[in-house]
Amino acid sequence: MRRFGQAIAAARPRVVAALAGRLRDLDLAEDAFADASAAALVAWPNQAPRDPAAWLWRAALRRALDAKRRAAVRDRAVLDEPEPLPTPEEVLMAAHQPIPDDRLKLIFVCCHPALAPDSRAALTLKLVCGLSTDRLARAFFIGEPAMLQRITRAKRKIAGAGVPFEVPARAAWPERLEAVLSTLEIAYAQAYEDAALAVGDTAPFATEVLRLSGLLAELVPDEPEVLGLAALVRFAEARRPARLDDLGAMVPPDRQDTALWRRDLIAEAAGLLDRAAAQGNSGPRQILATIHATHCARVETGAATDWASIAALYDVLAILRPHAATAVNRAVAIGEVRGAAAGLADLSRIDGVQGWLPYQAALAALSAKAGRRADARAAYAAALALQPAPAERLYLEARRRALEAD
Amino acid sequence: MQYMILVYEPEEAYATADGQAKLTDIVARHMALAAELQAQGIQKDGGGLQGTETATTVVTLNGQQTLHDGPFAETREHLGGYYLIDVPNLDDALAIAKRVPVIDGGKVEVRPLIVH
Repeated sequence: MRRFGQAIAAARPRVVAALAGRLRDLDLAEDAFADASAAALVAWPNQAPRDPAAWLWRAALRRALDAKRRAAVRDRAVLDEPEPLPTPEEVLMAAHQPIPDDRLKLIFVCCHPALAPDSRAALTLKLVCGLSTDRLARAFFIGEPAMLQRITRAKRKIAGAGVPFEVPARAAWPERLEAVLSTLEIAYAQAYEDAALAVGDTAPFATEVLRLSGLLAELVPDEPEVLGLAALVRFAEARRPARLDDLGAMVPPDRQDTALWRRDLIAEAAGLLDRAAAQGNSGPRQILATIHATHCARVETGAATDWASIAALYDVLAILRPHAATAVNRAVAIGEVRGAAAGLADLSRIDGVQGWLPYQAALAALSAKAGRRADARAAYAAALALQPAPAERLYLEARRRALEAD
Repeated sequence: MQYMILVYEPEEAYATADGQAKLTDIVARHMALAAELQAQGIQKDGGGLQGTETATTVVTLNGQQTLHDGPFAETREHLGGYYLIDVPNLDDALAIAKRVPVIDGGKVEVRPLIVH
């Protein structure tokens, strides 16, 4: 059963995409795939067929076309011009067509910039990866009805507004690819946040984003930012086994036990980043991936984290992506390279971040390091008041206790 | 598929010293775009609207109809004109919407018509 589950999950992106392309109906594609998956569990008594995707595609297409036939017959009384019915021969013919590869089209549809960014991420993870509405609701910290509504609304817009099921034209490519990449970044940020909650089944969510970023790198191998994003996700995931201590508290990368890091993912990520670099044309995701690579270098060198390189990389990132998050992370790196006072000076120049947890956490750590205990105490209190996830709360509380113990 | 392209601009956008020159320029660009879209058979209809000071709104409430001086919503941006186009899909409609000339701060809304 579990073995079949894996075969079905692996076949899913290709089969759902092909169904969406053939049927031009995302709901019908999802339903047909679910029906075919249920049928597969019955029809595969001992082992999966040699090509599970082909089996599922045939079964799902047959079911979907049958459902369309029934719906068309049922609605005939009210429709002015019913769509031509697929004949049984057409159904049979269609089922023997080889399965087309429409995965990239499906990703571009789900990540269309005409949809709200949060909707894109949820829709992509649901359709391409098959995550349940319930699972997505928990990952995005909203109720299940709200998540269902978000997904339903997005699907309705795709169908109603006439979003084409196509890979975009060359002229629209930069805008459309950027929408796909930012969607995957949102998805991964959610997976990462999700893991900080340390609730049992967090890994599958991140695993799906890992798989999705790898799929995109396979489908679009000549875009350096796509490779950069796939590398970034792998570097970050490689450290997952070391992210929490025995008590469930967060462990920062420079203090993690490198023996727990996944060398296979680090090697894969390094390979992707090399390929991206070979194509030139550096972008923010490659810089971020390089920052992760610098953290992960400890696995080879065994030496302390190379904060000077990380600070220099944040300088570059600040130009490409001038966000407050970049500035805060840069100040933390400066604090390591040139001392806490220099880090604090940089931090004080960032506007409008008072109510932001990473800022208060950085302020607390740098103040403590600079010996400014009252400032540190205030910042830890401010950070803890911003309702950090359990793992980060435990970490901050431990740091605060250490401050008082000094 | 038919799409309505609705052009919204800030009410006071042309109330500057060079407002008239800006207006003349944008109107000329509308004419050029409309002529091109009509020649391609894409544009079905379109036009510019007079200012909101000429608007009258009919309100139906509890079976009663009353007239109000002015547009239905008192917003900073007002509907200044529209294009009705027929193109294969949303991407084509959005590509045209991006070419619609607007003054800085202008917004262009793309809405598909109900398919009958």
